[in-house]
Amino acid sequence: MQAGNDTIGPALDALFATRGAFAAEPPIILPAEPYLDTAGEALRRRIFLTRGEGGETLCLRPDFTIPVCIRHIEEAAELPKRYCYRGLVFRQRADGPAEFVQAGIEDLGEDHRAEADARALADALAALQTAGLDPAGLNVILGDQGLFEAVLRALGLPQGWQRRLIRTFGHDDQLKAVLDALAKGPEDTLEGIEPQLVELARDREEGALTRLIRSRMEEAGLPPHSGRSPGEIAARLIEKVAVAEARLGEGALKLLEAFLAIDCSLDAAADRLAELMGGAGLDLGRAMTVFETRNLALQAANVDLAALNYRAAFGRPIDYYTGLVFEVRQPGGSDALAGGGRYDRLMTMLGATQPIPAVGFALWLDRVAADLETRGGAA
Amino acid sequence: MSLTLAIPSKGRLMEKSLAALKSAGIDVIAGETRSYRTSVSGFDGLDVLLLSASEIARQLRDGAIDFGVTGEDLIRESMPDADGQVDFVARLSFGHADVVVAVPEAWVDVATMDDLGDIAGSFRARHGRRLRIATKYWRLTQGFFTRLHGIQSYRIVESLGATEGAPAAGSADIIVDITSTGSTLTANQLKVLADGTILKSEACLLCSKTRPREAGDRALAEDLARRFRG
Repeated sequence: MQAGNDTIGPALDALFATRGAFAAEPPIILPAEPYLDTAGEALRRRIFLTRGEGGETLCLRPDFTIPVCIRHIEEAAELPKRYCYRGLVFRQRADGPAEFVQAGIEDLGEDHRAEADARALADALAALQTAGLDPAGLNVILGDQGLFEAVLRALGLPQGWQRRLIRTFGHDDQLKAVLDALAKGPEDTLEGIEPQLVELARDREEGALTRLIRSRMEEAGLPPHSGRSPGEIAARLIEKVAVAEARLGEGALKLLEAFLAIDCSLDAAADRLAELMGGAGLDLGRAMTVFETRNLALQAANVDLAALNYRAAFGRPIDYYTGLVFEVRQPGGSDALAGGGRYDRLMTMLGATQPIPAVGFALWLDRVAADLETRGGAA
Repeated sequence: MSLTLAIPSKGRLMEKSLAALKSAGIDVIAGETRSYRTSVSGFDGLDVLLLSASEIARQLRDGAIDFGVTGEDLIRESMPDADGQVDFVARLSFGHADVVVAVPEAWVDVATMDDLGDIAGSFRARHGRRLRIATKYWRLTQGFFTRLHGIQSYRIVESLGATEGAPAAGSADIIVDITSTGSTLTANQLKVLADGTILKSEACLLCSKTRPREAGDRALAEDLARRFRG
């Protein structure tokens, strides 16, 4: 372990205990299936996989969030509940070490989302301070997928476009590519689809399309009750034809680009958003309320909004993240010292029978320790 | 001083490899059946081994052999950084095959990777599971879906044979597989997406960059490579 952790670790454990978090101690070897299922196949090349005797795929713990959530579901523990953890996680990298020390908190089942969000961010900053870093000197960046989704809704974009844009949120290059495609217009999106089918879709002949698709599926011997159904395919074709023949107004595109370009201190963000949306006569509704309530809760937790950065395009392209995301680094630093966010969709993906709001953060303790060392301020 | 070169141990790939060596002035006589050794004339200090095409890719990666003839698909599938690990000495103009993304023809709304990305993104919400892709090319699939097209939400179902049958068998929704004429895909009522060609593969002569060689062997390797570079 890196220098510094010997004293930092226990100090963090003590801090987390005072914040009402219960210490979770998940095993190091875990089933890989929940990771691959929730985070996606891209994770496969970044984690250490092995096979159990019975053929099941196992991995070295790549993070704490998933085992903490799974154990919570299995134990059917009371809600709301906060868990904390500290220990090793393992990730494959082309170079550099493959094991890291992480510490953090997962906050499950708190219905007051804005307050829980604020607490996660405030606790992350407090943890960095406990570790010996001066929070005033750190660069904190914050994004909110809820606002992005609200802008798309307010603009009245077709569902197909909304889904496509949301899918790339947090991935600047891909988002830009999709925007470019929308700006260019839909010319070739119907290429490769039989004209007869396009006609039926244009006339919204859902029944006829469904029958036609069903007969093709039967002919190909596709199992009727697994995967995409004829009705689903017909409905999407109709939507696709409608989207292809709609046009994204230049005003809408400009507004979307102006929104994504917002990059300002958090205390100025609400005004900037109100100005932009108000100018276009649009209302972001509940997403804006959540954003402002969260800011108030942050102030109540003694977080200085002027010292945080809001970037409208900042997010994580993983589909269980739903709202707030944040990262903390040294100004100009390439590696995040801490990161967190809201993942309201994860608990049901992992088997919870009803939706459970969840937000959390993790500190990269090796990076924190290395940073302290180079600054000569090791605790 | 000696170099090892591995070529596929059976079928047309073996015949064509032997022909390619012959046209470079190297005569290889395969031993009796079931023997993986050969006798070589026309290039002193060269041992030619007969191995399976996928084993050749692995041995090149591990630096266990100097040269190998195998498909680019297998090379790129078995190495994280193929261009850093092997030198593509020559493309041999046989063993042509494309690695492609194919979906059921009944998916009439899906023509491009963008369509597939849209479906993958909402698959879980609709069906309670991820979109499943049957393939033996998990590295190529991931690189193409994740890095090139930004598609995260799918699962790979490892398939070791008859991949094209996976959708009908219900073990996967779509496939990533090789095709040379497309007839197997058509017979299984699968269609290749317009931008769904991951790799246009053919047999290549490769030289391992990770194999340690002494000066003498290095010169010998240069000689051999030159015969193919023409």
